[in-house]
Amino acid sequence: MNKMNKVSANIVMTCIIIWLLIPLVATIIYSMFDNWTGIIPYGFSFKNYETIFGNASFLKAIYQTILICIIPIVLTILVVLLALFVVTIYFPNLEKYVQILCMIPYTIQGVILSVSILALYAKSGTFLSNRLIMLLGTYCVIILPYIYQGIRNSMHAVNMPMLLEAAEMLGASKLYAFFRVIVPNIITGITVSSLLAVGILFGDYVIIRNLSGSAVTNVQVFLYQTMKHSSTEASAVFVVIMLMTFLITALVLYFQSKNKLEQIQKEGR
Amino acid sequence: MSYIEFEKLNKSFGSNHVLKDISLGVEKGELVTLLGPSGCGKSTLLRCLSGLEQVTSGKVYLDGQDITEVNPRDRGIGMVFQQYSLFPNMNVADNVGFGLKMKKVPKEEAEKKVKDILEIVGLSEKIDQFPMQLSGGQQQRVALARAIVTEPKVLLLDEPLSAIDALLRHNLQIEIRRIQQKLNITTIFVTHDQDEAMVMSDTIHLFNDGRIEQSGSPVDLYSKPATKFAATFIGNYNIFSAEDFGAVCCEKLSCKDVAIRPEIVVMSKQPPKDDGCYHLRGTIVGHISHGNIIRFAAKCGCIRINSDVLFEREMEYKEGDEVYLSIDKSLVIEL
Repeated sequence: MNKMNKVSANIVMTCIIIWLLIPLVATIIYSMFDNWTGIIPYGFSFKNYETIFGNASFLKAIYQTILICIIPIVLTILVVLLALFVVTIYFPNLEKYVQILCMIPYTIQGVILSVSILALYAKSGTFLSNRLIMLLGTYCVIILPYIYQGIRNSMHAVNMPMLLEAAEMLGASKLYAFFRVIVPNIITGITVSSLLAVGILFGDYVIIRNLSGSAVTNVQVFLYQTMKHSSTEASAVFVVIMLMTFLITALVLYFQSKNKLEQIQKEGR
Repeated sequence: MSYIEFEKLNKSFGSNHVLKDISLGVEKGELVTLLGPSGCGKSTLLRCLSGLEQVTSGKVYLDGQDITEVNPRDRGIGMVFQQYSLFPNMNVADNVGFGLKMKKVPKEEAEKKVKDILEIVGLSEKIDQFPMQLSGGQQQRVALARAIVTEPKVLLLDEPLSAIDALLRHNLQIEIRRIQQKLNITTIFVTHDQDEAMVMSDTIHLFNDGRIEQSGSPVDLYSKPATKFAATFIGNYNIFSAEDFGAVCCEKLSCKDVAIRPEIVVMSKQPPKDDGCYHLRGTIVGHISHGNIIRFAAKCGCIRINSDVLFEREMEYKEGDEVYLSIDKSLVIEL
């Protein structure tokens, strides 16, 4: 690439980045002012942030959001890992069917899914009729395609059957070898899938609203409620949600890079 | 009964009958090579011995015990795979020590064993490195160390050198043989490379289409191929139908085919004496250099015969030359 082309490419990239950042920056600015009806906003303060962090419902919504994100992700990862282990080792011919099954949730809209689940389980009279259980179960279904595809692709990259055979010849059981040898090698795939799932669950409004009503609220529900009485406060809630998502992503990436750094340091010895 | 015994072993994958009534024995401390073209069943036999494949029928005995139904991890067999199969998330020490950990060997003892075995394979200084930092040859030596550190009853090597370049492969052949003899491990080696089999083996079993075509020492297999396939696969035999060869030599032969090693075909520009040899006259039509040996091809009537000549700076022969070829009758193998 010559110098002129490189400069043009940089200009285009910069324009795109600015274009994408404009709404974000505008929201942040808006959340720090009392009013922005003219060209220049006025009434700079952190009042909105003070208000939302002083609201116990908001803190509860954050806490519940994190909880209802982590539980389904961990459960789904465990289920998918075990399912892929069994399918790859014992029933490789069935893998294509498992893949089709796992892809079905892609095609179901949130409203349809939540209404169907309500119709099926709400009056079942078992523990499945519990609103929280229904919500967590539905979240497991929603994130299944993302987790499945991410883990499956990583597994294909490490030649799992061959490594398991090698471990087996050294005296390991298949299951032990899977968790001791395969899982550490696909941890990047698991991480990326989990981050994707966090993004999806953090952004959910329809399912949680339909399934749990007022029993469980997440930050999206809180955001919607806040929008009804103050748009600047709602902007502040949005900024906090965004920062939380960034923070989670950064933390995961940090731990991942830390592992890599330790590995490089070991390699350098 | 031999140390390892296969008794009428059969293995099928669906309708594909891969191993057909294989019966063979391996003595303790021997290095046996299963040689043959791709798809002939040699790796499948190895996997049946390791337990990674279930046999369809027949028995496998190891040290007098029937191990046909025994779990792979309980057979006491070490295996080195073609693609190394090192665990990418573990360094050399952890890879090599994995089997010892599974056997619950005390940590200090395991560390000592790992160090000792890495010394033997010449990788002591790589103990903390990860597989991705090692060359192909080094990775394969780690795989070898990992397989033998647990002192298995048998070591299985499934084409371990096929992914390695020629020079390194040659060095590793010698290295593996040295380690095998030093530790006196009964070893079964699978390869499709006849030179490799010749260099490393005490005994070679030549496989063809799920059956053993011929067994014997490398010298026996090379000098006395029993079938046309063996002659084709081992060495670079000239193989002719007896009819064609007889027509060129003006002699009637009772066999079906003849096999002639290129190094016994003596080429000269002078008419040879009648000394118990077949005599042919032909024209040189080509040559290939194999380094220290030049393989000339001569057209003699309806046959084209190869003759090996040691390399000399001034080549005596060139294409188009008329030459006399002499072949010792006692060295012509009738098939």
